[in-house]
Amino acid sequence: MSLVGRDKTSSMGPLPRQAWLLVLHDLRQELREREIVSTTVFFTLVVLVMFGLSFASLGTALHPLIAPGLLWLCVMFVGSMTLTRIFDREREADTLRALLVAPVERLAIYLAKATVTLLVLLACMALLVPGLVVLFPGASALATNPSTTIALVVLGCLGYVAVGTLFAAGLATGSGKHVLLAVVLYPVTSPVLLFALVATRALLEHHPRVMTYLGQMAAVDVLLLVLGAWLFEPVLVGVGRARVP
Amino acid sequence: MTRAPVAPLLFGAALVLLPWSVVRVFLDTPIERQMGTAQKIFYFHLPMAWICMAFAVVCGIAAVVELRRRSVVAGAVAVASAEMVLIAGLGMLISGPIWGHATWGRAWTWDARQVSAALLWLIFASYVLVRRYGAAGSERLAAALAIFGAAEVPVIYYAVKVWKTTHPTTDVVGSLPPSFWAALWPALCALSALSLGLVLVRVRLELLAQQLERQADS
Repeated sequence: MSLVGRDKTSSMGPLPRQAWLLVLHDLRQELREREIVSTTVFFTLVVLVMFGLSFASLGTALHPLIAPGLLWLCVMFVGSMTLTRIFDREREADTLRALLVAPVERLAIYLAKATVTLLVLLACMALLVPGLVVLFPGASALATNPSTTIALVVLGCLGYVAVGTLFAAGLATGSGKHVLLAVVLYPVTSPVLLFALVATRALLEHHPRVMTYLGQMAAVDVLLLVLGAWLFEPVLVGVGRARVP
Repeated sequence: MTRAPVAPLLFGAALVLLPWSVVRVFLDTPIERQMGTAQKIFYFHLPMAWICMAFAVVCGIAAVVELRRRSVVAGAVAVASAEMVLIAGLGMLISGPIWGHATWGRAWTWDARQVSAALLWLIFASYVLVRRYGAAGSERLAAALAIFGAAEVPVIYYAVKVWKTTHPTTDVVGSLPPSFWAALWPALCALSALSLGLVLVRVRLELLAQQLERQADS
């Protein structure tokens, strides 16, 4: 069955509406089962407790140095778990393939999966960030600058999701080799989390360039979203005919 | 492209240029006042860093061609370039800390330039792993990885400009005196010829391996 050059006109309306309907579908399924949110939030709690046991006894002066690393490390762990689960669900029911042959823009699938993953990650962050502030009082700037913290967390998670969704979807359409998700996801998402780490440290140290760093993160997010959206279809189904020399 | 005797010519050039560059670096170039003899590492560290980044970009471009046109040759170029990124990157990541230890007193300072360069290496290591061990169709996923890896190159370049780092800025290269350039050019040409020759040989090997696989399948 050829997926290339199919009719792009959809019975589901324009792209934003298609994406919205797919998000609603996934959220409805999640509300029924509550599997992804409950497991990832619980995992966040476990990671938080482990971080507390390992590092909370360190002096308050060290907290601004370690809290940014712990925050984004947890995003990496929870993010990979969320992405695995979101695409496993499709894989188990073989619905990703059905979605790919349905009269839906592939970009809408990418945007919908990225949005759902972002929402799950933000739900986990709602527990993680206050938890870090309680365990590490030296990181209290996260609580005293709520608007900057929210912008930071949203931008960091958005960058992670923009990259992660593409690769998790690419692996979900292949056969097996789950171990490769970790091999791919951790290195490829590290650059965007490096930006987030620098911005978080600047926030905790009350650095005057925090807003500049947030601007850089927003620019990187736009670049990653554009790349992710552009590559989603070629990675999932391929384009063109093979050229053998 | 790969049938022309370009690779032997490049290896021949490297064979002549490498000993000459060693003579230029160690005998003809003055010893830098602040860093002493440790500064000599610069003549090999910088070309390896440039080769690493150049092949990361080549790999990214080849991956785009591979994805858009499903070109087997572009795929082979991408694989060969990625492996060269790993080799040159390893040279860069080993020589850099030796220089850092001599000049800053610490081999690894977790500086933004160092970290972003190490991340580039990890992304291409991940590319090679996916190409080698991925299931059927994973070459498309690997190509996307290469494109994201190539997008990381500007981050490495601008890391010293946008973040506070201990690594010398990119302006240092432009301000080098002519005597230093006279030693840098031979080293750069020798290592570039060697790396390009190796990549061409690897491209040919990859194409032959794929040809064998196709014959075995048919």
